[in-house]
Amino acid sequence: MLGNLAEPALLGFSSGLVCLAACGPVVLPWLAAAGEGGRGTARLLAQFLGGRLVGYLGFASLAWAIGLALPLPARTNAFAYGLVHIALAIALLVFAVPARRRPEPCARLSIFRRATTRSGFLAPVLLGFLTGLNLCPPFVAAGVRAAERHSLPGALAFFLLFFAGTLVWFLPYLGSALLRRLPAVPTVARYTAALVAVYYLLLGGLTLGGAWLHG
Amino acid sequence: MADPVVLETTRPAPRSIGRSALLTLPLLLWALLMFSHAVDLRENAGRAAALLTCAFMVALFFLMVRTRRTYRWRRVFFVALGVLFPIGFIAQLYALRGSMSIPVERMLSGDTPFCFLAIPMLIVPAALTRTVIFPGSILPTASNPHSVATMIAVWFAATLVLGKAWCAFGCFFGGIEEGFAALPRKAKLRDLPPRLRWVPWSVLAAVVLLSAATFEPTYCMWLCPFKAVTEFPEVRSAQTAIQFAIFGMLFGGLVVVMPLLTRLRTQCTLLCPFGAFQSLFNKLTVFDVRIDRSRCTDCVACRRACPTLVLDEAAVTAGGPGISCMKCGACVDSCTKQAAVWHVKGTPIAARPETARLLFLYPAWSFATLFGGSIIAGSLAQLLRPLLH
Repeated sequence: MLGNLAEPALLGFSSGLVCLAACGPVVLPWLAAAGEGGRGTARLLAQFLGGRLVGYLGFASLAWAIGLALPLPARTNAFAYGLVHIALAIALLVFAVPARRRPEPCARLSIFRRATTRSGFLAPVLLGFLTGLNLCPPFVAAGVRAAERHSLPGALAFFLLFFAGTLVWFLPYLGSALLRRLPAVPTVARYTAALVAVYYLLLGGLTLGGAWLHG
Repeated sequence: MADPVVLETTRPAPRSIGRSALLTLPLLLWALLMFSHAVDLRENAGRAAALLTCAFMVALFFLMVRTRRTYRWRRVFFVALGVLFPIGFIAQLYALRGSMSIPVERMLSGDTPFCFLAIPMLIVPAALTRTVIFPGSILPTASNPHSVATMIAVWFAATLVLGKAWCAFGCFFGGIEEGFAALPRKAKLRDLPPRLRWVPWSVLAAVVLLSAATFEPTYCMWLCPFKAVTEFPEVRSAQTAIQFAIFGMLFGGLVVVMPLLTRLRTQCTLLCPFGAFQSLFNKLTVFDVRIDRSRCTDCVACRRACPTLVLDEAAVTAGGPGISCMKCGACVDSCTKQAAVWHVKGTPIAARPETARLLFLYPAWSFATLFGGSIIAGSLAQLLRPLLH
């Protein structure tokens, strides 16, 4: 029993450094652009991690349902990987543009406005969710182990504990609150988010194109 | 009532030839020492290249000392470096493997020449996992003489003393765009939005974060304009074709066209993450450039002369260009009121600006001779070999 609980937590803790690096290009520009103090940054980070948890649990359900222990066709993997990257890129690009500079039709839609306002909780949750779906190596390892569980609750519990194991590695991101003393940081952070978005867009497009052309 | 301050508006007289020669003597000895090792002196081309480069570097230093001007003579060296570096480097690539492109197999075996632009991207992965994410070799080998350790050692030593002056005295890429920027007599495009100054910091943040996430030097893979004139991954797939197209467009746009239109070093101003990274080290050095507000008449000559948009209205009012200054000397040389001055931190502004300039120039030109000079000599030797063989 203890071994069952310890395995996912240890897997998460031991590979959390990779999570820290993998989430960095998304979460750090986002937090720095928000320009919040310590408490505000902690709130945003918690919302981001909440979104990431939702992504994890969604992936766990899917992994268990289709039995990820059996390898999926490479084309399906590539499509999923490409689509997630493109969605992440679009979200980052939208958040990189200050609300006052967005095109009029977008600014008028209340759902869009709620989802993309920095103070709203939907933006960090969405970014966390899409980052949570990124297929980094420890995440795939956890997915394979979760798929071997006999029940869906077992798979969900596995991912929950895996997620808990990685959490401690995200604490250094709270230090981004210190950057708000520098007045140029929000501008630099927004440009950074846009550049990262272009990179993910290119990566996603190339992956989708490769999957489509080569199967 | 105090007497009104009479501002000196004439330029200082040139130094005497004898005194200038005496001040140049240490550099002459240093250059002789350097060029006796920089190239293969057993062949005629090597000897001729060493002699020519030694004379070139010493003559430029002499002129800097005699005329009390920095920018003009530094630019001659820098443009020569920018022109000759790609020639020598490409010739070396052809001698090693017969092509400018590098196949992925050679990259995997650590044959990619290491370039200082990759340094900021190595730090986080190396700190977290003790891994060097560049596909080069740590120490020089027969198939790859441009190793990681050699370049980092040179960069670190120079940076501790010079800070961002690396970008004005060492960066062999900067000379290419400085050469294009020097061609037109007038800028056709002026007044770039000042907020664009922050873009290199964003590129730095993005490539550092993405390199840590992907374990590949993202800037070298996707954004380096100078791949177009040095070395690039062999085009075998859609990805490498896109990468090559990006390198070509960035080189054409930021290194050729924009400098011709603006007379600025636009790649350094609008893209280079290494320049932003080097700015952080300006805090470590004792040398900087300051604006003496008591002499400044807000004529904006220094702002017009600055090749990287570092000097804006706020910077002039604040009394200095801040951490992003690469100490090229353009603002100091353009100031007719001698308000823009070289300065040693901890001393009064404009106390002895010429002494501060010389104190800066000795290490800066010694480094330029060691690093850029040896590149120039190597390239000259390649060019002279067919003639003098």
